[in-house]
Order: sequence, then C-alpha cells, then structure tokens
Amino acid sequence: MVEEKKPNKQDVIETEISMGTVHPTALEPYRVRLFVEDEIVKEAEITIGVNHRGIERIMEGLPVEKANSLTEKVCGICSNAHIWNSVLVAEKGLGIEIPQRANYIRIIMEELERLHSHFLYLAHGSEVLGHETFSMRAFYIRETVMELLRMIGGNRVQYGASIIGGVRPRCELNEMRIQKIAEGMDDVEKGITKFADRFVLDPIVMSRIEGIGVIPQKQAIKLEVTGPTLRATGVNQDLRMKMKEYEPFDFDVITQDDGDVKSNLLMRVLEIPESIKIIRQAIKNLPSGSVVDRSWEMFDCNTIKSYIEVPRGTLYHSYAIEDGRVRNSVIRTPSMTNIGAMQYACIGDHITDAQLCIVQCDPCFTCTDRAMKIINL
Amino acid sequence: MSLKSFSRARAIHLMLVYTGGCNGCDIEVVNCVLSPKFDAEQYKVFLTWNPREADVLVVTGPVTKFNEEPLKKIYEAIPEPKAVVAAGACALIGGVYKNIHGDIPSEEIMGPVENIIPVDVKVPGCAVRPQDLLSGVVTALPKLLNAD
Amino acid sequence: MSYITILYPTLAVIGTLVLSFIIGTILPGVERKYVQARIQQRIGPPVTSPGIMAPLKFSFKENLNPNSPLPSLYKSLPIICFIIVFLILLSLTPQMYWFKSFASIIAIIGFLKVEEIAYVLMGSLSKSVMSLGLPFPDLAKGAAHPSTERSYLEDISSKRAFRMIAFGSFPLYLSLFIPVAISQSIFLSDIVAFQQANGPFIFTVAGLIGAIVFFIGYMILLNEYPFNILKTKADVIEGPYMEYSSKYRSVLYLSRGFFMFTLGVLFSVLFIGIPPNIFSWGILVNIAIAFIFPVLMSIMSAFSPVFTYRQFYPVVIATSILGVLAIVIGLL
Repeated sequence: MVEEKKPNKQDVIETEISMGTVHPTALEPYRVRLFVEDEIVKEAEITIGVNHRGIERIMEGLPVEKANSLTEKVCGICSNAHIWNSVLVAEKGLGIEIPQRANYIRIIMEELERLHSHFLYLAHGSEVLGHETFSMRAFYIRETVMELLRMIGGNRVQYGASIIGGVRPRCELNEMRIQKIAEGMDDVEKGITKFADRFVLDPIVMSRIEGIGVIPQKQAIKLEVTGPTLRATGVNQDLRMKMKEYEPFDFDVITQDDGDVKSNLLMRVLEIPESIKIIRQAIKNLPSGSVVDRSWEMFDCNTIKSYIEVPRGTLYHSYAIEDGRVRNSVIRTPSMTNIGAMQYACIGDHITDAQLCIVQCDPCFTCTDRAMKIINL
Repeated sequence: MSLKSFSRARAIHLMLVYTGGCNGCDIEVVNCVLSPKFDAEQYKVFLTWNPREADVLVVTGPVTKFNEEPLKKIYEAIPEPKAVVAAGACALIGGVYKNIHGDIPSEEIMGPVENIIPVDVKVPGCAVRPQDLLSGVVTALPKLLNAD
Repeated sequence: MSYITILYPTLAVIGTLVLSFIIGTILPGVERKYVQARIQQRIGPPVTSPGIMAPLKFSFKENLNPNSPLPSLYKSLPIICFIIVFLILLSLTPQMYWFKSFASIIAIIGFLKVEEIAYVLMGSLSKSVMSLGLPFPDLAKGAAHPSTERSYLEDISSKRAFRMIAFGSFPLYLSLFIPVAISQSIFLSDIVAFQQANGPFIFTVAGLIGAIVFFIGYMILLNEYPFNILKTKADVIEGPYMEYSSKYRSVLYLSRGFFMFTLGVLFSVLFIGIPPNIFSWGILVNIAIAFIFPVLMSIMSAFSPVFTYRQFYPVVIATSILGVLAIVIGLL
C-alpha cells in the first residue's frame, strides 16, 4: 500500500512559482501556484475561472434541442459526451425510448471519443515528459480515430451526433462506413500494441514516471476522484457497468494499483483495447431499423438528472423543462472533482514533475469553469 | 527577393495563446504542429512558447475577462514584424458565448480578439481544421515579408 | 620571407574559423531534419531553416528592450558566450600552439566555466512576461500563502545552472584530463605530438572510456534533451534565454551550432590527435567528428524524456566514476 503524504501546513514557504495562464504544458488557461522549497513542491494551488463563459446561463431559456447542441461547446475534447448526456436528460424526462440502432451508434461515437481522448492524454503526457517522439506517435495513431469521427459526424471536433430520439440521420452507418471503422480499429489496435510495447519497455521513461505524483486510494476516495484517475488507484468503479446503454456489450474494467503517473498512463493504454472491443462488438451486432424516432411529445418536467461515464470520469447534467425550454441547467464535469487530486499529487515532487502530476489526472478546466469547489485537504 | 524576406519566409515561429475557448481549436492547432500527418515544420513553421521568439501569434477562444490583460501583454512582448491569426469562430465573432446576455454588454467575454489586439488573418471553423490553420499562417506571410 | 611566415598561419587560422562557423550553422538543421524528423516519421524542416535562416530572420527583427534589471549586461552575455566559443576554437588550432599557456587544458576548462556562469547570470537577469508577468488575481482573499516571496520562472533555471556548475560538468572535465594523464602534459601541443607518435588515444582502453565520458559531458554542457533540465519546457519554458530578441537571439542560435562544432574539434584534438587546420586533410576528420557527435546526440535525445535530478545524479555519478577509472588506467 502506498503511504499517505501530508501537505505541509507550515506558514513560511521559501518561494512561490506561478505558472499560467499561458504555459506550454497546459493546453488550457489556468493558474497554478506552486510553493517550493529547494525545487520540491510543498503545496500547490490551482485556480480556475479563466475560462468562465457562462454556458449554463446561455442554456437557460433556450429550446431543449438548441440547448442540447450548445452543450457540445462546453468542451472540445469530450464534446460527444456532453451532447449525449444532455439528450439523455431530456429523454429520461420525456420518457422516450430510442431505437436500438441509434443507441449502438451513440456508443460507437462515445467509444471513438474515448479513444481520441486517451490518445490525446498519452500524447500530452509524453510531451510534458519531454518525449517528443512518443508524443508524435500518439498523435499519429489518434489521427485515424479523428478521421473516423469526421467520417461519421462530419466534423473533426464537434460532431453533434445525438439528438432527442436517436442520432442525426447523417450519422447513419452504412456498409462502407462500417467497413472503414473495422479497418480503422485494426490500425489503432496495431498502433497501440506497438506503442505500448515501446512505452512499457523503455527503462528511461519508466524510471521517470514511476512513483511520481502518487495518490493513495484512501485519499482518492476522500477527494471524490472519478474516472480513470480513481481506477488507477485500485478502485474498481466504472459507471459504464451500470449504464443500461452499455448492457449489450462485454468489456472489462481496468484497474491499476499504485495511483502514480505510471499507473495512470498504463490505465489509458490498457483502456484503449477495451474501447476497441466495444466498437467491434457494436459494428458486428448493429441492429437494423431507423436511427431516429421523432414521435415524441414535449411536456413540462421537473429537474431531471443524468450521470454517464465519459473519458475523464463521471459527467452530470441536469435541467428542468418548461414550455419546451431549459430551466435550472447544471453541468458538473469530472475535472471538477479531480482538481483536489491534481493539487494533492504535486506535493513532494520536483517542479519539473509538477505539471506531469497535474496532467496525469487528465484535466479539462475548460469543461469545468462554471463553479467553485472548496477543498479541505 | 531580398535576404530579409528570403530568411523570413524560411523560418516562421508560431506561438499559440488560448483565451478560453472549448479546447477544440487549441488541440487542432497543437495537432497540426505535433502530428506527423500535418507536420507544420515541413512548411518551415516552428512552434514556440516564448513571445520574444515568435512571429505569428495564433489566438483561439473568445477572450474571457481574465485573459484580456495576458493577451495584450504577450502581444506587446512580440518584436516587430508580427502577425496575429485569429483561429476559430470564437476568436472571430465570439462564437456561441458572445451572445450570453443578448444585447446587454457582456462582462465575461471581452472578445472577439479584434477588440483587444489587431488581427491580420481570420481562420474560420468550429473547430478550425489543421489544414485551414496552416493556410492561414501562410496568408499572414506577406505582412511579415514586406515589413521593414 | 618573414612576411610569408606570418601570413600563412594567419590565413590558416582565419580559414579554419570561418569554415567551422559555416559548418556549425548547418548542424542544428542536420539534427532536426535528418535524425529527429526521421525517427519521428515525418518530413521535418529544411536543413537550412533552424541553423541559418532562423538567425538571419532574428537579426532583421525589431530589438525590444528585455525585461531585466540589468538590460545591457543581459544583452552582452550571448556575445560573451560567442567570443568564448571562438577563443576555445582558436586555442585548438595548431598555429596557436606556440602560445603555451593559452593552448592548454587549463585554459579550455577556464573558458568552459565562463560559458556555464553565463547561464547563471542569464537566468537571474531574465524576468519574462510568461510567468509572473501575466496578470491574474490569484492573491485574492483565501489564497494559500499570500505573503510568500514570488519568483520568476527563470530564477529556477538560474539555480539549476548553479547545480550544473557544481556537479553537471564533472564528466566533461574528467574526460579532458584523461589525455593529460596519458601524455603527462597539459599542453595541447604535447598531447597532439604524443598521439602522432604513439597512435590516437581513442584506440586505448582509457581513451575509449574517456570518449564515452566525453560524449555524456558534451550532452550535459550543450543542455541537449535528456539533460536539459536547465531549459525544460515542462516548467521553465526556455529558461535563461527567455528575454532575448532580434540580434541577440540570432547570436544565441549561431553560438549553439558553433559550440557543437568546437566541442567536436576538442574531442578530435584530445582523443585522435588531429588539430583543425584548413590546409591539411586532417580537417576532414574534425568535420566528421563534428557531425557524428550531434547525430548521436540527437538520436539519444529523440528517445529519452527530460531527466530530473532523480535520473540526473546517477548518470553523472556513473560517468564520473568511469572518468576517474579512465584517468587511473591512463596514469598506469
């Protein structure tokens, strides 16, 4: 078991190093203040709020369909997850049963998105490590996934697949597209196998990431960490196991033991084949029929909640519907709860590793910038 | 072509400033530099994170309130000649976020980028495609080449 | 007659220096295009871009006054570095060997020390906009440790440069003393003469170990990828160089390639016994060494991440032990 480290509560700290809001290793604007003594981080403070654009405010009072497609703009990495969950909220409230084929296509989109998010994580992680070659390899493999997403959704980043009652007809999978997805999955599998071999067998990289940014299991549960970051500390918890959308599929939940950067990186590497497995099952057993059911009726409902598992953890959307318009919209993204883990992971490591410790929790502050969380370490 | 413009055309240093977009454009920009498929270096475009080294500033996002001052400072730190490329719908018109309060002026979104620093090239798209971004940087070239 | 005896060596020295300078400008491009880009399976930049066109471009840019407490000292540092590299190369040319104390290992080590101290000064004098300069209201109510001393990112790299002086440069300096141990003289002329009589040191056991130690020291001194904690992108962005613009940045770019070439020549003088002289075929060996070293270095750097102290100390200690071993073998 990994021993617990305590943040230093002393008053006088030698120096403060602040990084951000623009910094090469952060892909989005935020401020991190690192309190260091002899280049060892004693405490870290992440301040978000730079990205505040008030998307919940914009959603308020919009027609549900419009609000749904707006949620996609919350995040450019897990855009499909947001629109999917937002649509699920409406479907739950209005009691809509979607065609099975639409569900399968949604799952395919979501798993493709998980692939590209995990590849981005690996690429970004390698870049922060200073390993340009691995970073480029990961980006290269990711390009196959991006092409598939572009083929299905029509755009590389914001594809807007889900609508209330199913998926957009343009995301219909015909024979040629299924064939292409199958080929793409073969390529990705080949790529990730080679990448994983190289990565795990590289002694220098392993010595660099082993034992860095440790989050013990107890602390992770206390900080309410979600998603792969939690699973990397040894907790077997994946919301996909409980979601009825994922019922037809057979896959494993990956866990790692240590909760350090190595576990987190391996976590993503090992989750990629699971996603490929799901996509293969989905294209093999794709039910026939239409992809959208437009026979639903709009009526008012109280606040409806929906949780789904996205690449970074658990995503929560809720809103009420009044006159076909959205009321009291709340979005909570996984990075919100993971900020505590990011701050915690930095403690006791070298400054060069501090950004790595933040990146290991797969931050997406752009998603998160809507609220404030007070963390008591 | 003088030696000045000849050398300027063969080494373009590009700096990226993200000002609160949705991450989509940021990652596409990084993608177009770091991915071997697009490989901006073959077009003599190098990614840098130091404003003193940069020639072209790529700005993504609608410029939120906390990002206004840093953006100005970074712009000032770049030595002349410089060009600014605004990439993505948010940087051009404020995107979906600009209209947050309707006609009431917004306190959160200070953008589009044009309101804060002069923009030379506008690359549309939500999110901007890597190919478009590369062509946008090329469009900014005449300004760099013809400057003193 | 005396006219020719002065003119010929002067021409040789100038010719050697100019040739080295030209080859030095190509080296960064070769590294980037033919080694790293090939490993990363992409096309990569043109060979001339990083080494020749980029410095040219910077020299045509507007010169902004750096954010620094002592701008003039800060701006003079790259020029001092360039002159130091120039002097090292000058002391290596055979025409200068008559000037005994200048053409000795001690003088070269002294010059290299100045180069390292320049990093410390650069780091502490640079106050870039990219760290504390970016305004952000983070000292609000409730912020952690609001009264802490806030430091710029470059201060860390200045501290790191100090550590480099303390331990990072051990391998290179130890390897410089291996030829001294074998030939029993600190003067370059004696070292070269000894090797021309008894064969190059690189074919002896001590010399071979010394070559490996020299290579590691070369990478540490050039701050190339595994050992570039001084200017790693993950925290200090560009470290000591952050505030240089226009001409000063172009000098910085040029002196890096020149320094690579000079260290390659240093190796060929000390371990192969061939001094750089434009009027002899030996210069081809110098050029070959000057190309082989950066190529090997960029292969290493394409395959390794940045080392933190956790990896740095063992590497330095191991190579230092190797270096001491080689000196002992050489003395026997």
